[in-house]
Amino acid sequence: MGADHRVFLEATLPHMDVVYQVARQAAGDGQDAEDLVQETYLRAYAGFGSYRGENARAWLAAICLNVARSQARRRRRRPWEVTGSGLPEVLPLSRADGREGVADVADVVIAGLDAEEVSRCLGRLPEPQRVCIVLMDVAGYTAKEAAETLGCPRGTVLARVHRGRRRLARLLAEAGVAHGRS
Amino acid sequence: MDGRDRACRLLAGFLAGDLDPAEARRWDEHLLECEACWRAVREDRAGRQAAQVLRQPAPAGLADRVAFAVEMAAGAPAAAQRQARPPARVLGRARHGRWLRWRLAGAGAVAAGVVAALLMALLPGAHQVASMPAAVAAVARYAQVIPPPSGEQHPQRAAPLQVGRPVTVMAGGQRIVLRTWRLGRTEAVVAVSSTPFPMPARATGVSGRGMAWSARLGRLSLYCLNGRTSELVAAPVPATELAALAARLPLA
Repeated sequence: MGADHRVFLEATLPHMDVVYQVARQAAGDGQDAEDLVQETYLRAYAGFGSYRGENARAWLAAICLNVARSQARRRRRRPWEVTGSGLPEVLPLSRADGREGVADVADVVIAGLDAEEVSRCLGRLPEPQRVCIVLMDVAGYTAKEAAETLGCPRGTVLARVHRGRRRLARLLAEAGVAHGRS
Repeated sequence: MDGRDRACRLLAGFLAGDLDPAEARRWDEHLLECEACWRAVREDRAGRQAAQVLRQPAPAGLADRVAFAVEMAAGAPAAAQRQARPPARVLGRARHGRWLRWRLAGAGAVAAGVVAALLMALLPGAHQVASMPAAVAAVARYAQVIPPPSGEQHPQRAAPLQVGRPVTVMAGGQRIVLRTWRLGRTEAVVAVSSTPFPMPARATGVSGRGMAWSARLGRLSLYCLNGRTSELVAAPVPATELAALAARLPLA
């Protein structure tokens, strides 16, 4: 561990806010997001000697996701819940007035945004979609950076984030209707 | 890739602004007529908007915590740097100042080195820290920012109050979790490790307490208890008071 820690901190600390966004969503049960950020930076510092100056945000996010996964494996728990069942393409909504119909999912979602509910529904997405949404919509990574982080083509990231957003919107609409909103 | 997959990728590309102008225009026209695709666009926007509510700024002080952990991993003269700056709780509210300091540190490494060396030489017990086992030195460096006990009187039976968040560092190959506690009129650092803290050369064994030892380092007293885990307590109090203080702290 011979790298100059000041050079390392100068290169990486400006990205701590986005790493924290990733850590908050990647932290599984029993994991603390702040501990995860610290462990990410310690691992990154340990590997700073082999860092070739690529996108630091993408590099840190990839380390953060790996740390979250390996810690979760140690705890024998998955930080990302993967659900196999698919949602219908069009969500039939039970309206508050008792009539059945196809409501506008987007309107239902926007009308009742609640961070806790969003977090719960995000946790129900398949991992690939969830990770892409966390990187792009929560942490503010570009599709290119997310692709670099995950080691997959940019088009794949865009398709995953699109499917994930739609699924998230439908899950939230379903939850909103269940709570009496329509 | 089936037709649905392809349509999904094309729509995702359209929403990301990836399509060429002619193809984008075709999608614009298509969306005016196709209810299913228009719904997909609206769901995409709603999902993105929903995810954005999860953004939350990093807690004040996290950058300091991370920087300290890295400093410790690097074996840097953290004590000098920490003595030269206000406590982390204050720094959390003054991030701009921290950035300036880091920039200065990067730009004037040589000058900073000289200043750090001077500070190290002037700090009480700093030369002793350098000769201590790395894990013990890390705890001592962390504890050196604790102010001396205030003259203000507090109830003797005051419950320990944790100050800030735990910090995890690696030093001398040991993983150490550091917690700061306020107890009455003083603060103390409790360091916990699954590996026993090595006994420094000038430490003395505590009779009747197995592998326990105590040491004095400048104005700091150190007291180490070894059981299932190893706990090292550090506080700016006389050595005679530290064992009693440790007994009132929540050790592991």
